[in-house]
Amino acid sequence: MIFRRIVLYALLVGALSGILLTGVQLLQVIPIIQSAERFEGEPAAAPAAEKAGQAAQAHDHAAHDHGGHEHDADAWAPADGAERTGFTLLSNMLSATGLALLVLAAMVASLRLNAANKLDWRHGLLWGVAGYAAFFVAPALGLPPEIPGAAAAPLESRQAWWLFAVVCTAAGLAGAAFGKSPWRWAFLILLVLPHLVGAPHPHTEMFAGQPPAAAAELTELARQFIGATAIANGALWLTLGLISVWTIPRILTPSD
Amino acid sequence: MANHNSTTANMQATTASATISTPVQLATAFLLGMVFLFGAGFVQTSAVHNAAHDVRHSLAFPCH
Repeated sequence: MIFRRIVLYALLVGALSGILLTGVQLLQVIPIIQSAERFEGEPAAAPAAEKAGQAAQAHDHAAHDHGGHEHDADAWAPADGAERTGFTLLSNMLSATGLALLVLAAMVASLRLNAANKLDWRHGLLWGVAGYAAFFVAPALGLPPEIPGAAAAPLESRQAWWLFAVVCTAAGLAGAAFGKSPWRWAFLILLVLPHLVGAPHPHTEMFAGQPPAAAAELTELARQFIGATAIANGALWLTLGLISVWTIPRILTPSD
Repeated sequence: MANHNSTTANMQATTASATISTPVQLATAFLLGMVFLFGAGFVQTSAVHNAAHDVRHSLAFPCH
């Protein structure tokens, strides 16, 4: 049953690329998140304490609305250190497995469509680049990766736009790559659509609640964060694409 | 329904599941992937959010 083999290999791909992603994040992404959190009240604040800081800010800035949702500052959060890193590893593996399920199902579907049954490592790179474009570059162009504490438009509208950008970009790339009509390149218009619609943005300064010196430092951290996440996501998609392609022959020719 | 990739070997191996067509299986795997991503990236329950917090920021998911 191909479903079972896809799920099993997605778990493998997700575990491997999740471990690698966590390693890359620990080197450059996580230190920036922790630096940014030092500006949010208590030193070395856990995510829950960060919510408390934001709730306080929300009183000063009516526009600083999180779409009517606030996190409970008393809610469980992993303790800083090994526990937090452990949950980060787990979440990375879960996310990467989810992405691997999408990629493997799409790869098998594309092979059926083209009546082919082979993908080599170059296809792996292409799939990785396409995934990076759809899941990181496209949404990040409208909603740059944010450090904790940055002001943002209501969460629900950002999530909706994020999804819209990912779906449009993925559909546009897939249509152009696998379409049969000579007009298939027209699918690339879908890549532009989310950016014509425009991502939701807040009406305040990004770090309006902070004194000028801190805001300047946070702005610099936010700039570094974009580069750090661009590298981490690039590493994720490169490994995801390459390992996925390696599993495809094993998914198509069952040994069980 | 045409299955271009089916070899004799995997026809035999999948006899037990022959009632579920490959497109349906692929769509189900795809949906399962979306459920995983929703759980890791979109669920706003505080405990889930806090556990996945650094990952959401890192993957540029909208987070709080």
